Amino acid sequence: MNEIFEELKQAIIDGDEDIVEELSQKVIAESINPVDAVQLGLIKGIEVVGELWKAGEVFLPDVMMSAEAMKVGLGLLEPEIAKLGMSQGEAKGKIVLGTVEGDIHDIGKNITGAMFTAAGYKVFDVGTDIKAEDFVLKAQEVGADIIGASALLTTTMSAQKGIIDYLKEHNLRDQFKVFIGGGPTSQAYADEIGADGWAESADEAVALADRMLGK
Amino acid sequence: MLPKYDVLTQEQVEIIHNESIKILEEVGMDFDYEPALEVFRAQGQKVEGNRVHFTREFIEGKVKLAPSQFTLHARNPEHNLVCGGENIIYMPGYGAPFIQLADGTRRKSTMQDYDNIVKLAGASKNMHMTGGTVAEPQDIPDEIRHLKMIYSSIKNSDKCFMGSAEGRERAEDSIEMVSLLFGGKEVIKEKPVLISLINSLTPLKYDERMLGALMAYAEAGQAVVIASLVMAGSTGPAALVGTLALQNAEVLAGIALAQSINPGTPVVYGSTSALSDMRNGSLSIGSPECALFISASAQIARYYGVPSRSGGGLNDSKIVDAQAGYESMMTLMATTVTGINFVLHTAGILQYFMAISYEKFMMDDEMAGMLLHYMKGFNFDEDGLAFDAIAKVGPGGHFLTQKHTRKNHKKEFRTPQLSDRSAYEAWSKESLDTNQRAHKQWQEVLASYVAPALDESIDNLLLEFIAKRSE
Repeated sequence: MNEIFEELKQAIIDGDEDIVEELSQKVIAESINPVDAVQLGLIKGIEVVGELWKAGEVFLPDVMMSAEAMKVGLGLLEPEIAKLGMSQGEAKGKIVLGTVEGDIHDIGKNITGAMFTAAGYKVFDVGTDIKAEDFVLKAQEVGADIIGASALLTTTMSAQKGIIDYLKEHNLRDQFKVFIGGGPTSQAYADEIGADGWAESADEAVALADRMLGK
Repeated sequence: MLPKYDVLTQEQVEIIHNESIKILEEVGMDFDYEPALEVFRAQGQKVEGNRVHFTREFIEGKVKLAPSQFTLHARNPEHNLVCGGENIIYMPGYGAPFIQLADGTRRKSTMQDYDNIVKLAGASKNMHMTGGTVAEPQDIPDEIRHLKMIYSSIKNSDKCFMGSAEGRERAEDSIEMVSLLFGGKEVIKEKPVLISLINSLTPLKYDERMLGALMAYAEAGQAVVIASLVMAGSTGPAALVGTLALQNAEVLAGIALAQSINPGTPVVYGSTSALSDMRNGSLSIGSPECALFISASAQIARYYGVPSRSGGGLNDSKIVDAQAGYESMMTLMATTVTGINFVLHTAGILQYFMAISYEKFMMDDEMAGMLLHYMKGFNFDEDGLAFDAIAKVGPGGHFLTQKHTRKNHKKEFRTPQLSDRSAYEAWSKESLDTNQRAHKQWQEVLASYVAPALDESIDNLLLEFIAKRSE
């Protein structure tokens, strides 16, 4: 049985979502413990990728493909875990990630999502051109720790403040940490609008989340 | 003038063209703007949802309607510019949200910065026009920013400048303002005065904002740069030729739209394609691959017979240092020697378009001057051959006291504006590096700059328009 976990781990490292899918289905078909498959297979694999990236041994496409493969595996195994009434074990944290209303640039957000996945967070990517309300609804639905809002244009940065304003208006400000990012943003801007965190790059955002959530 | 050099064979350009046509036919592009879709439907192109599939005949036919060159008219006719052919037009950087300061710190850009950079470009011998969003004035509310920027461009210089591309309404405001300046919409329809930057959303999309502006300018007979910025490796393939084919497909579709709206609309083929750094995903513009994209774009535009826009003093450095210098010279030189016509981002850019620096502006202005001089090439007339001077001096002796020398060096040699050619001891009295010298220089230029007078009645009309639109 250990063998399949090892194979899952390797498939994540290889960023091969087809093999991850195949192996995950095998886990289900053969009634192998899905929690173990996640913990000893998928997560072990993504941890290796995270370490390799930090060591400068793999590149961005490697990390992103591993994160994609991770998503495929979790997508199959999580419902199984729920069905069996088992506990999956705690993720490092949950983050709802999107590009703000009026803005459809998403490459930075996608990279950030992959980095958070690689670091062991559960990422809920809500897409681009997302209203403040929809960020918050998703965060409430999944019990997120962090709302991450991206903006590339100086003209859409104000929508990041819009999310904070929305949370304040609905007395929800203390329920979520709000991270902002994107080309024209800065620490000064984050301070100005009262965001909890700002980072210039995806890996700095992960490090910041680790510090802030004490993980 | 030196001949412009090619980096692709004719056959290779045709391969890229055919790949682009294949992309447009088989994959198609999304246009998130109903009026644009209507135009394509009326032209018999296949439209499904927002996706448009183009035919080769349509694209090739429309691109042929674009003029090979056109004149942009300035408030001062001495600054009129011909865009296309052998000409090169240099201008400051565009759209940076930050100002990088000489002391290494960075802050948000303001309206004051916008005014200052327009003035520096107005004062420069090497900047042919003042450009567009030379600094993003973040202290001005978004809704009226474009009005203030256009006004500053009109007031602080009499060179050509750019209009807002932030949607149809702001494009129309830009057109209204230049109509006030030049005496009506009919006048500018005949003689284009504005040029604006329309960007695709790579891969294979145009958004509503840009399409609205494109259509407004095309209807008003104003010029548009239609540009694609493919980040090879992230928003485009990790392949140089594939990236060029993707970029080319997007630009061709944009040109075809402009020509469908108003045949003969002056358009410029634009490219800012560059790399995604494969470690952190960031845009990399100071790279040899970017220089190849610039060079190839000049040639692809020549193949279509339209003016080109690409390149500039591009770099990924954070401060005005050696990296800023060597990367910028590589890209600006590639831009210039391969025949790009319209060079947005010639001066001031740092941090892959994220910041403008006054010091970098002065450094790039010097580089632009060096390259303009380089492109002049050689003078083969009697003064250039200088046989009489050589005969007069004969063996031994020197040329420093020859009349020919005194007269001719001013024609043949360029005097540096910023570079230091003094001896070590002289330099070491102050020991200023480039950044420090540039810091002093831009302040001196600004202090002595006198903006060309603007007719008071026109000034008042403009101010009234801004007041009305700001309500």
